[in-house]
Amino acid sequence: MLVFGDNMRGKTSLLNALRWVFYGKALGRHSREIALFDLVNSEATLEGDWSMEVVVTFEDDGHRYELRRTAAKRSLVSTPSRSEDLLVERSMRKDDIALGDHLIDAEINRFAPEQTSRFFLFDGELLDEYEQLLIDGSDQSKLIKEAIEQVLGVPNLIRGRDDAQTILKAAQKQQTADLQKIGGFESQAEKQRHYQAQIESIEKDIKGQGERLRKVNTDREELDDDLAKVEAFYQAKQKLDDAASTRDKSANRQDDLHQVRLGYVRDAWKEVLRPLLTLKREHIQDEYSKFTSQMLDRDKVETKIAQLQQAVRSETCHACGQPLHEKERIAASKELGKLQADLLGFKVDMTLFSQHSTDLQSLNKLLKPTDSRQIMLIDNEVNRLSVELTTLDNQIEELNELIKGQDTAEISRKRFMRDGLIKQAAHIAGEINSSQVKLIGHQRDLAVISKILEGLPTARAAKSSRLVNLAAALERVYGRSIDQLRDDLKTTVEMLASRAFRKLTTQSQYSGLRINGNYGLTILDERGQEVPIRSAGAEQIVALSLIDGLAHAGRSAGPVVMDTPFGRLDKKHRANILAYLPTTTTQLILFVHEGEVDKATDLVHLKSRVDSVYEIKEVNLRHSRIERVNQ
Amino acid sequence: MSDATIATVSERTQVRLSNKSHATLTQMKEDGYLAEMTDGYRLGIALALSMGITPGELPAENRNFIAVSTLDPTGELATAIRMLVNLEGQGVYGYAERLADWGIKEMQERFKGGFLDVASLMSNTAEKVS
Repeated sequence: MLVFGDNMRGKTSLLNALRWVFYGKALGRHSREIALFDLVNSEATLEGDWSMEVVVTFEDDGHRYELRRTAAKRSLVSTPSRSEDLLVERSMRKDDIALGDHLIDAEINRFAPEQTSRFFLFDGELLDEYEQLLIDGSDQSKLIKEAIEQVLGVPNLIRGRDDAQTILKAAQKQQTADLQKIGGFESQAEKQRHYQAQIESIEKDIKGQGERLRKVNTDREELDDDLAKVEAFYQAKQKLDDAASTRDKSANRQDDLHQVRLGYVRDAWKEVLRPLLTLKREHIQDEYSKFTSQMLDRDKVETKIAQLQQAVRSETCHACGQPLHEKERIAASKELGKLQADLLGFKVDMTLFSQHSTDLQSLNKLLKPTDSRQIMLIDNEVNRLSVELTTLDNQIEELNELIKGQDTAEISRKRFMRDGLIKQAAHIAGEINSSQVKLIGHQRDLAVISKILEGLPTARAAKSSRLVNLAAALERVYGRSIDQLRDDLKTTVEMLASRAFRKLTTQSQYSGLRINGNYGLTILDERGQEVPIRSAGAEQIVALSLIDGLAHAGRSAGPVVMDTPFGRLDKKHRANILAYLPTTTTQLILFVHEGEVDKATDLVHLKSRVDSVYEIKEVNLRHSRIERVNQ
Repeated sequence: MSDATIATVSERTQVRLSNKSHATLTQMKEDGYLAEMTDGYRLGIALALSMGITPGELPAENRNFIAVSTLDPTGELATAIRMLVNLEGQGVYGYAERLADWGIKEMQERFKGGFLDVASLMSNTAEKVS
């Protein structure tokens, strides 16, 4: 049977209705029981209707059963405010004959014992818990291990061992009392009494620590639930804080840049004039160079004139010192006259030359580099920051809108509190471990004394000593039986889970599963080697294999109801499950959403295996209606 | 221009500004674009010089703005004006105040009382010269 329903339409409520009619309880997150008061339709209660009823009819071993459970307001209560204000009644008819209330549990336990119900009334959201089994020593794995052993019958032996331990303790006390009456054993008796007192005290401590640990874990789980509901708001608040902090930094940076810019504006006038002043300097520099060149030329002419005048006057060559011939002296005189004429053409305005020199110095000073050019870079950065600030402002506005009305301070407080509880739980677990180490030590010391006494004829003769021996032997038998049963069960579960896994997996090279001490399963490859890494989908297949193995190790095949079992599985795995599970159950009811089973494609292949299809349809936010779908 | 020429001109000890330009500079400072109004005054002079403007007389409605010794303590502003303008016997700071008034009005016209885009003043001059 397939029951389709989108999220929040009530698939899990249907599963809980089945659980409630059989066992009188419904489970919420972390497998915690939902209070009866919270199960009643809150909208109906507004109209004064506090009644609730679930009826289920089924067949087993050729008999037809009708099981009915009802809850209604107690007659003396006007408006119920707690679960105790409601009266729960149940009835069962077997082949149309009403059974007495005292026979109902016995009938249910024959075909659907509550201890194994988690494997046939199966909530897919709990698959993750089974994946924890592979993490040895985790708190979650310990709890699930206990739950598994509960359904497999190990607790019966554990209770037997506990009873034997209780008898042993009582016998040891009596032995101590008896020894005190026998001369020469006072000191042994005193030691025995000391260890017994210590053991009692430590056991009391462990009990108290266990209760504290349970309380802390329950508180933490409640906080986890609360926090899960507001996680999106918390994330939004974190983002908001980050955005506000980034915004502050950007705004401060912008302010800083603004101040720096104001400083640079002071000398900006020089930068505005720099191109013109640079041109001016080039112009003056050219003029100045011309002056310099002219002055050099005049110097050369003047030098040459002086040399020629000297040569004409002394009639001697100024270069070689040889006497000048008449022809050469005339030529020198001619050149002298020409140069003297040229010299008259050189007119250097020394006042202007000096002015150019002063102007160049002033311009060089004016054109010294300033930091004002950086205004452009600052303006670019300020613009970039402005865009960033606008984006952040928009983001902040959106986030503020999102968390409007949420007490984010309270969320933060709860997160801190949850973290504190996690630390506290770890601390208490440490205390328990250390108490247990002490306990084992004292138990050994006590056993040593008992062993010594066993060898003494006078003590051995005492009735209490014989009882101690008997109880100790009984405890050992139970202890070994527990180990033996666990080993046998693990082998059986491993074999059954491996069989299921080979049918469910899409990887043909996987040969099976190996079980660990916690009932966690590891995939084995074709060589029997453990596969260390596996996907989320493979995790789910392994968990489903374990569920199947446990279901068959604990009871014979029967109907199985599964709620949202295909969460992370691909098409091939889904097909394998849909093909395999009907072969190991007498009836399979799956509560699925369309993301898990596609009505258009998957149903066509399943047609021969599906007897009926239902759909949970939304009437309004709080109302759903189940309708049969024509195939 | 020679030192002798400079010495003959009677120089101002205070520079003036039209009331309108004064209001513009006051607003620019209030808006946070200027640390001091004198920074805007110098920018006005530089802008007018860079555009090759020959400024007219100051409007009748004007006021003393600031002491020359505060406006141009190192004399660099006067030097820049002398380098770029033939003052023909005019006092450099008398000319400077007319340049400043024109330049401040031009800034008001360009930026309409908004962001004082100093970078654009610098790049415009550079483009013009190149």
